[in-house]
Amino acid sequence: MTSTGIGRRAASGTTGFLKRSQPRYVEKAVRVLLIAASLVSVLTTVGIVIALIPPAAEFFGKVSFGDFITGTDWSPLFKPPHFGVLPLVTGTLMVTLIALLVAVPLGLGAAVYLSEYARPGVRTFFKPILEVLAGIPTVVYGFFALQAITPLLQDIWPGGEGPQVFNALSAGFVMGIMIIPTIASLSEDAMNAVPNDLRDGGFALGSSRMQVATRVVFPAALSGIAAAIMLGVSRAIGETMIVAVAAGGRPNLSFNPLEGMQTMTAFIAAAGIGDLPTGSIGYQTIFAVGALLFVMTLVMNLVSIRLVRKYRQVYE
Amino acid sequence: MDNHALGKGPDADILEARRLKGDGSPWRERFFQLSLWASLAVGVVFLGSLLTYVVVEAWPRLDLRIVTNFPDIIDPSQAGAQSAIMGTIWVIAFTALYCLPVGFLTAIYLEEYAEPDRWWNRAVEINIQNLAAVPSIVYGILGLGIISRGLGFGQTVLTASLTLSLLVLPTVIIAAREAIRAVPQSIREASLALGATQWQTIWRQVLPAAVPGMATGSILALSRAIGEAAPLLLLGGLTFITFNPTGPDSPFTVLPIQIFNWISQSRAEFVSLAAAAIVILLVILLAMNSLAIWLRNRYSHRW
Amino acid sequence: MASPSEAPVSASGTSVPQVSYRDAPPLITPVFEVGGLSVFYGDHEAVRDVNMTIGGRQITAMIGPSGCGKSTVIRCFNRMNDLIPTARVAGKIRYHDEDLYGRDVDPIEVRRRIGMVFQKPNPFPKSIYDNIAYGPRVGGFKGDLDDLVEETLTHAALWDEVKDKLKTSALALSGGQQQRLCIARTIAVKPEVILMDEPCSALDPIATAKIEDLMEHLAQEFTIVVVTHNMQQAARVSHRTAFFTTDVGAEGERHGRLIEYDETARIFSNPSDQRTEDYITGRVG
Repeated sequence: MTSTGIGRRAASGTTGFLKRSQPRYVEKAVRVLLIAASLVSVLTTVGIVIALIPPAAEFFGKVSFGDFITGTDWSPLFKPPHFGVLPLVTGTLMVTLIALLVAVPLGLGAAVYLSEYARPGVRTFFKPILEVLAGIPTVVYGFFALQAITPLLQDIWPGGEGPQVFNALSAGFVMGIMIIPTIASLSEDAMNAVPNDLRDGGFALGSSRMQVATRVVFPAALSGIAAAIMLGVSRAIGETMIVAVAAGGRPNLSFNPLEGMQTMTAFIAAAGIGDLPTGSIGYQTIFAVGALLFVMTLVMNLVSIRLVRKYRQVYE
Repeated sequence: MDNHALGKGPDADILEARRLKGDGSPWRERFFQLSLWASLAVGVVFLGSLLTYVVVEAWPRLDLRIVTNFPDIIDPSQAGAQSAIMGTIWVIAFTALYCLPVGFLTAIYLEEYAEPDRWWNRAVEINIQNLAAVPSIVYGILGLGIISRGLGFGQTVLTASLTLSLLVLPTVIIAAREAIRAVPQSIREASLALGATQWQTIWRQVLPAAVPGMATGSILALSRAIGEAAPLLLLGGLTFITFNPTGPDSPFTVLPIQIFNWISQSRAEFVSLAAAAIVILLVILLAMNSLAIWLRNRYSHRW
Repeated sequence: MASPSEAPVSASGTSVPQVSYRDAPPLITPVFEVGGLSVFYGDHEAVRDVNMTIGGRQITAMIGPSGCGKSTVIRCFNRMNDLIPTARVAGKIRYHDEDLYGRDVDPIEVRRRIGMVFQKPNPFPKSIYDNIAYGPRVGGFKGDLDDLVEETLTHAALWDEVKDKLKTSALALSGGQQQRLCIARTIAVKPEVILMDEPCSALDPIATAKIEDLMEHLAQEFTIVVVTHNMQQAARVSHRTAFFTTDVGAEGERHGRLIEYDETARIFSNPSDQRTEDYITGRVG
């Protein structure tokens, strides 16, 4: 900026005046820093895998994978120990199933309402409530399930034996409520991505609002809705505190929702609390069950991410 | 339905009336809408009763003891959650220190530098989306196997905050990316056309405009970390602790874990205590969320 | 100054008001020499084989129907197309005999010499003062910023309107004032060339007239290249005009082409290409 006057003549005649005499070190350093920061998330995944594999491998050196995956008795800290993971898997699936029975209809109902019916004023009332539901710590959900929902169920249970103090039903129910925001907001995104032309087409053919919602918008948003449900399943499988508090700590190969049962996550938490010595088989079970949990949720997540990309490609 | 002006025969009238009513009966239509509305109402009712229940349960113990006293197993009437409250503050402060810079820098890279067609950038993106949905207890396993025992950081504030940083990192990245994306392209073009470098453009134009959104998203992400208990169970958070942390190498407990601890006790006094601690936890979260919303409204740009 | 010429006749047969065209200074000192320029977005060739020479200290207008590639071409002159990852440039643009797309050319240096004003006024969400000072600041300006801001705003005929509110937000200005601020911001960097990409398309006629006055005034010291969809504007302010249109290839692919480039008076009164004549007389839009 040495020239006087406003107009500046380019230094014509001297070649190379558009080149930079010295490299822009700051720009280069920033780029390196940014890439390094981005690698942290990659390293997190690598770290998870590295954390899981060696102890899990040692575990499967002692216990055959077949026994692990088909065994029906899980008592790793007893003598003699049994390492059949099925009770934890069925416990997880039971609670997840109950949660989905609650969350899928309610979450989708909420999404259809918010996307197809609600006036802006109604939206600004309900959306924050869903956000609050999503923001409540899960240990609080667990507390509510154990202290309020279970006694309530025991009181109103019609005849026969009611739910036990720890049971899959209460835990699954509050977990379902917890997942509603996940399913509702992702499904609503998918429905909002459906172009209005399609709706107008439906209305022009004389369809009612309900027919447009169920026969036009819902099918068009199906891959996004499927993604939302998959993510909900992933969250249910991975949720720890609700089941640790309300579903009990006893591995139980049962399909009775009124009984207590231990999930994979609740087992990991319980074993982790025990501060087991590194290298012991008890310590290694954490990683074996953890690896199974990680793989199950990974599959769900990847399918979900795929489905979301698919609907984005179609409509955006 | 008084559309008889065309003077048709009775058949035409019926046809006309039916057309204006639609195929589905209005009764079904009403019921459908009502059940949609009820889906939302369930959530509202649940939230209302949860909050009411917690406050009612907590009422006998909602006084200063919960803040000034330390946990006490023998005498619940003298027990408080001070070490857990201070532990939460320590752990979250360090979590913010680690995850916010890394999260912001990653978001800047993905939004401003990365070419989306490149396979490695797509891989980074999918990886972040997956990490956002990895169960929190798996992060606990990462913290236990690598940070606590592998690196030998032990059951300390440092281990807990590093673990929680990795846990909320994807959330921070996703929120910060949205805030950066909301800055109009025309601002970047204007800056570059004036001979600013890419980093000058980001530092002097994009970031100042994106900071309110980034702050809002970060606070919400950190409030998720505050409520998180599962991973810390594996990192020694449940140890009986009756003193406040003094540094990153201190043992720790946090509010959600203290709550879990008290829920697990059989005596009824501990239920009130747990409820009181929940109220404290919810108040902290409410304060953080209010701050986030205030920031969003106060500094949101109109373009 | 003005050379009277025949008024063009529009399609409906009504006569366009008499326009006085400006004499084009000779192209003694070419600023840009464009040879065989093609621009690709991915596999699509958006602009094909443009050849033209742009002279210094005059206004060159680029006109043509929308989608004809005129904005794409002007964005090549200060390498703004670099920001689009899929964009690729073939052919040559020489700026004072220097290859703009040469291997070691620094786009930052290029943009400090060749500024740009955009279609929609895009002031930074900062004060008027900071908008003007931004370019010099990032360029490492060491002198007195206050003086520079005053000098620049005076030069852009904006000083009297804003001198009492330099510290207020630029977003509070009217659209026309914002665009003049954006022009002022550009000259604060002391470039040689100012590129303007439809600078008046978002403005009302009065604001447009002020910008046109400013352009004429600035052309005494700067080289201005302006893309416009407004033919009257091109006819009023420019010395030379380039007419672009869209060619449809054998397989239905569309390329922007430079059809005719000449002194403005000639383009509007006696074009040599039928397509130019059809366009300026309004037979095709």
